[in-house]
Order: sequence, then C-alpha cells, then structure tokens
Amino acid sequence: MFMTRSEYDRGVNTFSPEGRLFQVEYAIEAIKLGSTVVGVRTNEGVVLAVEKRISSPLLEPASVEKIAEVDSHIGVAMSGLTADARTLVEHARTEAQYHRFAFNEPMLAEALTQSICDLALGFGETDEASMSRPFGVSLLIAAWDEHGPQLFHTDPSGTSSRYDAKAIGSASEGAQTALQEAYKKDMTLGQAEALAVATLKQVMEEKISDTNISVSSVTLPEADAPEPLKFACHYVPGSARQPVFHIYTTAEVKAIMDRLTA
Amino acid sequence: MMDLAFLDAPFTPACAGTDEPDGHALDALDAARPAMLGPQRALMPNLSEVQEHLKIVHGTTTLAFKYKSGVVVAVDSRASAGAYIASQNVKKVIEINQFLLGTMAGGAADCQYWQRYLGMRCRLFELNHKERISVAAASKLFQNILCGYRGYGLSIGTMVAGWDHKGPGLYYLDSEGARIEGNLFSVGSGSLFAYGILDSNYKYDMEFADAIELGRRAIYHATHNDAYSGGTVRVYHIDGKGWRRISEDDATVLHYQYNPGKK
Amino acid sequence: METMSRDVAAMSGYGASSAAAGPTMHQWSPYVMNSGTVMAICGKDFAVIAGDTRMSVGYQIQSRNVGKLLKVTDKAVLGTGGHCQADTLNLQKLLRARMVQYEHQNGKTPKTSAVAQLVSQMLYGRRFFPLLTKNIVAGLDEDGVGCVYTFDVVGCLERVRVACDGSAEELIQPVLDNLLERQHQQDKPKPPPLHVDLSREDVVNIVKDAFTSAGERDITTGDHVDIWVIDASGVHQEKFDLKYD
Repeated sequence: MFMTRSEYDRGVNTFSPEGRLFQVEYAIEAIKLGSTVVGVRTNEGVVLAVEKRISSPLLEPASVEKIAEVDSHIGVAMSGLTADARTLVEHARTEAQYHRFAFNEPMLAEALTQSICDLALGFGETDEASMSRPFGVSLLIAAWDEHGPQLFHTDPSGTSSRYDAKAIGSASEGAQTALQEAYKKDMTLGQAEALAVATLKQVMEEKISDTNISVSSVTLPEADAPEPLKFACHYVPGSARQPVFHIYTTAEVKAIMDRLTA
Repeated sequence: MMDLAFLDAPFTPACAGTDEPDGHALDALDAARPAMLGPQRALMPNLSEVQEHLKIVHGTTTLAFKYKSGVVVAVDSRASAGAYIASQNVKKVIEINQFLLGTMAGGAADCQYWQRYLGMRCRLFELNHKERISVAAASKLFQNILCGYRGYGLSIGTMVAGWDHKGPGLYYLDSEGARIEGNLFSVGSGSLFAYGILDSNYKYDMEFADAIELGRRAIYHATHNDAYSGGTVRVYHIDGKGWRRISEDDATVLHYQYNPGKK
Repeated sequence: METMSRDVAAMSGYGASSAAAGPTMHQWSPYVMNSGTVMAICGKDFAVIAGDTRMSVGYQIQSRNVGKLLKVTDKAVLGTGGHCQADTLNLQKLLRARMVQYEHQNGKTPKTSAVAQLVSQMLYGRRFFPLLTKNIVAGLDEDGVGCVYTFDVVGCLERVRVACDGSAEELIQPVLDNLLERQHQQDKPKPPPLHVDLSREDVVNIVKDAFTSAGERDITTGDHVDIWVIDASGVHQEKFDLKYD
C-alpha cells in the first residue's frame, strides 16, 4: 500500500510529492489493529458495541474501558491507541461542559464532533500543549440532541462523517458489510442492540461473552411528569425530556446475548 | 497626590493555579475566567460609580442545618441596592447539581457565576472519576477558587450543602477563603434573627416535618425583623435521593399564618 | 478608622474613596452616565421591549435619537438602559460577534435562553472593570412563550415577567409590580409563572403610559420610545413620541 513511501514519512508536516501525509495514513492504519467497534443509529436511539480483547485470563475485564461518557447525551466508543482517546475524551468533556456553562443548553453533537476533530488535527503545532504526532485513534460518537439521534465517526486525519451504521477496528471490513446487509432505517432500539452484538459475534476472534464486549446506548426515556412551575426563576430550558447515555451492565449485555440465541 | 499604597499591596497572580483541572489548562476553562487586570489593577480609576449599580444582596437571610435524616436549606428572596428593593424574587438557592445546593449572600453575580462554574467542575469530576463528588471535595474546590481570587473584591458568603457517601454534608465558605464544616449555619443581615429561632429549637434528632418547619419559621422571623430580607421564603430538603423543593411561601402570607389573631 | 477605610477600599478593588481626611486624591473616571430607561414585558406568545432614545450627559442632551435596543436574533432583543453609551456600544458589538461565532460553530441561531446566558457571561467577564450597562433581554423561549431576562451590572441573571432598568426604574417598576404582578393583592389571582396575562395591545399601552409618565419626572428619559414587539413572525418595530423638553 505504501509503495511510494520514502523520506516523506519522517515528519508530520511534510507532504510527499504525490500529495500524501504518510504519518496520518499510518495513524489510520493503527486503527486497523484496534479492536472492533460497531455503532448503529435508529429513530429510538443509538447503540455502540465494542470488543474488549481480554489478552490474558488474569486481566480484569472491567478495567478495559473502550466506551466513555462525554455528557449525559453523548458517548464515544474508541478503537486504536485508546490512551490517545483519553486526551480527546477529556477535551470533549470539557467542551461539552463549557457549552452548558456558557449557553445553558446541551452541546450539539455535530459541534462537539467538530471540536474533537479540531484537536485531532492540531498535531505537530509547535506549542507545548499540542500532540507531536497524529492521534492514533478513531471514535464513534453516539448522541441525541435537538436534531435527534445521531452517529458520527472521526479518524486521525480530523475528518468526521455521519453514519446510520458504522464499524471501525480490525474487523471493520467484514462488520461493515454485515451492517450494510442487515441495517434498516426503521429498526427498533432492541433490533439495533441485537444487530450490533450479532455483528461483533460474527467478526470477533475470541468467543463472545458478556464480559469481553461492552455495549452502550443513548436514548430518550419518557420523563416523569414535571412539577408544575411556580416561579419563572425555576424555569430550565429544554428540561421537559432529556436523553440519557448509558453503559450497559453485564446483566444487560447478557440479556441481549440471550435474545440472540433464543 | 497619587496613592502609592498599591506598591505595598501584595499582587495576586491571575487566579493562582489551584483550580486547574487535572494538569490540563484547557482553553474552555480559561475562557470561563473573568479578565484579570494584573498589576495595573491597583492603578485603576475610581469605580465607585459602578459599585452603586451592583445589585448587591448583602441584605439577605439564608440558613442551612443538618439533622438526622438530611439537610434543610431555607432562604429569603429579596435583593436590595441601598434602600431600593431591586428584586423580590431572587433565587438564593443555587442548584449546583442534583445532590448539591449552594446559597447566595453577598454579590448576587459573584455567587451565581462561581456556583455555576462549580457545577461545571463537579460534573467534570463525576465524568472523570465515575462517582459523585463528595460535599467535602466540592466545597474544597470552591474554596480553592475563592482563595485564587482573594483580595480581588469578590463578595460571597455561602453554604454548600449536599448528600454523599458519608450522608449529609454542610460547609460554610466565604470570599475571604474560609471553609468551615458544621451542623448549622445562617448567613446574611438577617442571620442573627434566624439564629435566635434556630438555636432555641434545633435538635439533631428532629423529625422531617419539624425540621422543615424550623427552617421556614426562622427565615420568616428574619424577613419580619430585618428590612433587608423579605419576599418569598423558600425551603429545600436534601437526602439520599437528592434535593427537593419543599415550599415557597410569600412572607406576608406566612406572617398571618403564624399570627392568626393579627389583622 | 481612616486607614481602615483606605485599606478596605484598596482591597475591594474599587480604589480608595476620598472619605479619608487629609490631602485630596484626584482620580480619573472611565465612566460617563448617559442614562435613559428600558423596560420589557412578556405575554403568552409575545414580548414587548422598549427604550427611550435620549442620550444625555448630566443635564445636557447630546442626542434625541440614540436607540437602546439591539435585535440579536429573530426571537431575542437586547435593551440597555441607565448606561454608559461607550460601554453599550462595546457590549453590542461583542455580542454581535459572539452571535456570528455561535452560528458558525453550532449551525443554528441561539435560543433566547442561550443569548441571555451568554450576555451574563460577557458581563461577568468584566467583573473587575464592569461595563456600566443595565441590560434586559426579551424575546420568545423555545416553546414560543414570551420571556424576559434581567441582569445586574456584572451579569446576575434572572428570568422574570416584567422588568425595567435604568434611570426611571424606581418610577416605573413599582407600578408594573402592581398592575401586572399584582404583588400583595392577595384576593386577586397571580399571573402565570412565565408571563403576564394581558393582551398585546394592553401591554403596549402600559409601556406607552409608563414612558410618558417617566418622561415627565426623569430628565434623562424623553424624546422618543422605541417599542419593539417580538412574536413568532419576527420583531415589529414602532416609534412613540415623548416630550422634547
């Protein structure tokens, strides 16, 4: 694939004569070594499912964290160098919280994705705070904002796109094909959970279990009837119904897997 | 003659780095800080003209106390600028998050802004540590912020009340940098009247209804005797399920309720 | 006692006052009070915001046609009264820039609540050298209900039904409390929590009465009133004449 590579892959700020930035392309290759992550968007919510590679029976599965909450309405799943993702997640959390602080409203998913991409693309800048190399991680971002449920994908080049269903990581090609065949626009959340887990099951090298995968979703639960408003000072914009990002417990993951085999 | 007193005054560097989030001075959090004037602050012109336009809630009664099954927080709602009542419906309980409340006495904007900021920091703590922040830690964060601005003229007297793994939590903080843990506090110009009622009736082993009633009655007495307090008496309660608004009563309605004989 | 007050003044960040005996201290002031009044009232599906157009320094009238209102979005208007005109222009210019920035970053027009929160942050950003402006934001909230937000000089934010700020605040606000809020009229029903229960025509008439009366008693309020009504179809602007004296 990199037949034309030469001296031009030694710096992050030098194009090759063919117009390529090799270090960025290598970073994208790093994702293909990462564990598989699947995201499925439906009108009822967005599901993220990730494979945890349990490389040793002595490894504590709960300590492998590949899904992170960014804000109550946004979550991300990562593939590649997950340590790099921590920097992106920390940045995303701060941006999301600052947006609430400054505008008294949740941040839009697209704006948040863009702000993650801004950081991802900020590598190689000379100030001390920025990364010296591209972030070797790809994210699937599940969110529910005023535009409804959405699924975004970002990669080390700082590019983002919106998907109905997307797979990243080592088995992404097979998984993406499987998603393409099975995805329907009018799926329920339950069907999306099943599709995401079934897709992982199909492509994972290890045998799937309720401990070597992690599942999460963002949904819009029915709200309790709000207390009648007595004073204008208690008015909270957009408080009627709020989306919730939730990382499933082992029992909840097991329930999905039982549905698959039933 | 030029005032050279500033040469002797210690200069506090722009917000001492005590409240930086884990090693990252992120742009977004930097943007949340009010512009500092640095050393030239001491050369600033006379700002007393604005000062008289600062809607100060110095006149206030706020109280909070722990008892066996939670924390009661009660406040009035009057904001005065000198003798003029700037608002009769100020929200002096600041809902930091579902388990933490702050009260407002001093500069209204100072309290409101920094407790919203504290809410943001507590939420970031929660996301990074996967557990709710304790009342002790939240109040310590707040104290660090306030210490960073010591000498800048902030005016804050607040109680941070909440519920965490240890049960009820209550701290008093002010813009001079104090942070005191305790069972019972009252802050503001009407606090002495409130203390009078509180001290003679407070028992840690009270029942819920008695605790609520004590909070409400103490604020009512303060609104009655302190001209700088008044408006609506708001009572909140915090327990293991978070805070709840218990009641919001017009001080005048309470007056006739508590004094049925009076016309 | 003297040194005390000096120390306190120095520590408070507002400079020493001339209260101390001894040599007179001269200080330059960055503020000029150009005064004037704004008020806003919100109804079920509309909001009215008004501001007079006189600009004065002391007893001298500098202009009879300086507006105090700024259309921020199709659903939000900022009004600034009792102010320093230079600070107002500064605030308006910065706010317009922040709106453009918000629209680019978020691909949408900010809600009125977001505008209000942003104004609060901008005012507090100048906590240690305040903009001498007293602001009101009026408009429609995300449910289409009228809303009014008030701020103090350094950004303490409050949602209310009626608001008045500026030089005639003390003249107008108590009457609004009585007519619209029915404060302490215990036999009368209170208005709903978020807005007054009057029609648009009634509200506009109250605004006109309030400004006419204030113009009679306040030297810095006069000439004209901009009365802007915000509803689902946009911002409707009207000019109402006051006396020129």
